[in-house]
Amino acid sequence: MQYALLIYEDEAAYRDENGRAWQEVIAQHQAFAAELVEKGLLRGGAGLKTTNTATTVRRAGGQCGLHDGPFAESKEQLGGFYLIEAADLDEALAWARKLPLAGDGSVEVRPVIDGTT
Amino acid sequence: MARSLLDQAARAHGGRVIAALAAKFRDLDLAEEAFAEACLAAAQAWGQNDAPRDPAAWLYSVAQRRALDMLRRRGVRTRLVPDPPQPPPSAEEAMVDDARLIPDERLRLIFVCCHPAVAPDARAALTLRLVCGLTTQEIARAFLVAEPTLAQRLVRAKRKIAEAGVAFEVPGPEAWPERIGAVLSTLEIAYAKAHEDAAGAGQHADYAKEMLDLTAVLAELLPDEPECLAFAALVRYAEARRPARLDDDGTMTPLSEQDPALWRRPLILEAERLLRAAAGRRRPGPRQLQAAIHAAWCARASLDEPAPWPTVLALYDALLTWRDDAVVRLNRAVAVAEVAGPAQALAEVDWLDSVAFRDFGPFHAVRADLLARLGRGVEALAAYDRALALDPAPAERLWLERRRGQAAAFP
Repeated sequence: MQYALLIYEDEAAYRDENGRAWQEVIAQHQAFAAELVEKGLLRGGAGLKTTNTATTVRRAGGQCGLHDGPFAESKEQLGGFYLIEAADLDEALAWARKLPLAGDGSVEVRPVIDGTT
Repeated sequence: MARSLLDQAARAHGGRVIAALAAKFRDLDLAEEAFAEACLAAAQAWGQNDAPRDPAAWLYSVAQRRALDMLRRRGVRTRLVPDPPQPPPSAEEAMVDDARLIPDERLRLIFVCCHPAVAPDARAALTLRLVCGLTTQEIARAFLVAEPTLAQRLVRAKRKIAEAGVAFEVPGPEAWPERIGAVLSTLEIAYAKAHEDAAGAGQHADYAKEMLDLTAVLAELLPDEPECLAFAALVRYAEARRPARLDDDGTMTPLSEQDPALWRRPLILEAERLLRAAAGRRRPGPRQLQAAIHAAWCARASLDEPAPWPTVLALYDALLTWRDDAVVRLNRAVAVAEVAGPAQALAEVDWLDSVAFRDFGPFHAVRADLLARLGRGVEALAAYDRALALDPAPAERLWLERRRGQAAAFP
């Protein structure tokens, strides 16, 4: 099965003076991704720029509206995701536990819709 | 007659058969449906006084075939190798011992039902439904929720397990602290429901028996987990006292006033054996302490012996280091009243969060008793009224009314 690991973090955790937190976490992500690749489990993923770069298109009642900012304002924001192959939820959860975070945060694990069934 | 034989077989072996099917097909709904169809087939096939020698094995092999049929009908391509088509087993067919034929997958099923990915309010219900074979109606009654609500919870939980891909595996030892904790707290909730009803009549009597079976399975399958052994011991100590929990009028009898001669000795001996085994693992835990509190009470041979309050208090003090919650503190206060007097106990009870306890009957009952013993009659009556207004079980209501009457007579 494929699972998406959706990373929710407080962006403030990356805002230190010389960007060291950012560099450290990027290095950890590279190691994490390398391990997935080595085991043949990485199917995709990306890191996202911070929510001050986000623009949201909202459709309601057939009308589209644009607004500056993320879909919802909250302390923890979607910051990136991995798409991985795992035998079952427990295996995916084990990867989610190992996923690097700069500080506190959450990793939501969601099964991906299987196109074959 | 065949009908009741079928009911018995379904009740006694349903959990094992469903667990084996679920583990094989990795699909809870399919397992349940196939088992239901096998029961239906049995109702017809066993009609002519020719029930099979081994009903469980019969149900398992028919259910297995039905499951494969259903998979074929659904058009699911499956990597499972289907058995070659066979006629249904005849009654004469000598069945091998079902213990060898049906793999015992109940532990796997318990871990699936109690997975942290399943909503907490559905875990106990799902375990009772699938592992113990209780009906939705029985579980709904035990949990005091409407049957459609409970049915919906079960459907949602099963869908989550299927769609999120919860593993049908006993987790590896590295995950045990968390996963066994989830299993035990689920079973604790399930057992609390059975234990609340002092009378233990009707549905609850069966339900308590299921808890004895289930904890026996857990203790047998995880013999090196002291908290599992201790929980199995705890259920046995508590069930051992069931015959003494009501007096002749159907009024609840508090533990300290129960006649030990009425307790079921074989269950106490079993509990002691389990608790000793748990202690032998030298890894203490909260359930071992809780079981030890029960053990202290069950060591009493007759009402002439003093109640073990100092031991109980010491054990509650130790329990607080594991579980410092308000319910433990409330129970501890009852022991404090006996060892250090009601004034100190009341001070500790009043220090608890009265807002959280506003609708918790036992809190008001304990306060009422302490107030009455301190001669604060008016406040005691108000506290009894509060406890009585919270809809206690019939046996408890009678007891509270009796105590209230005594407090009113000597204000």
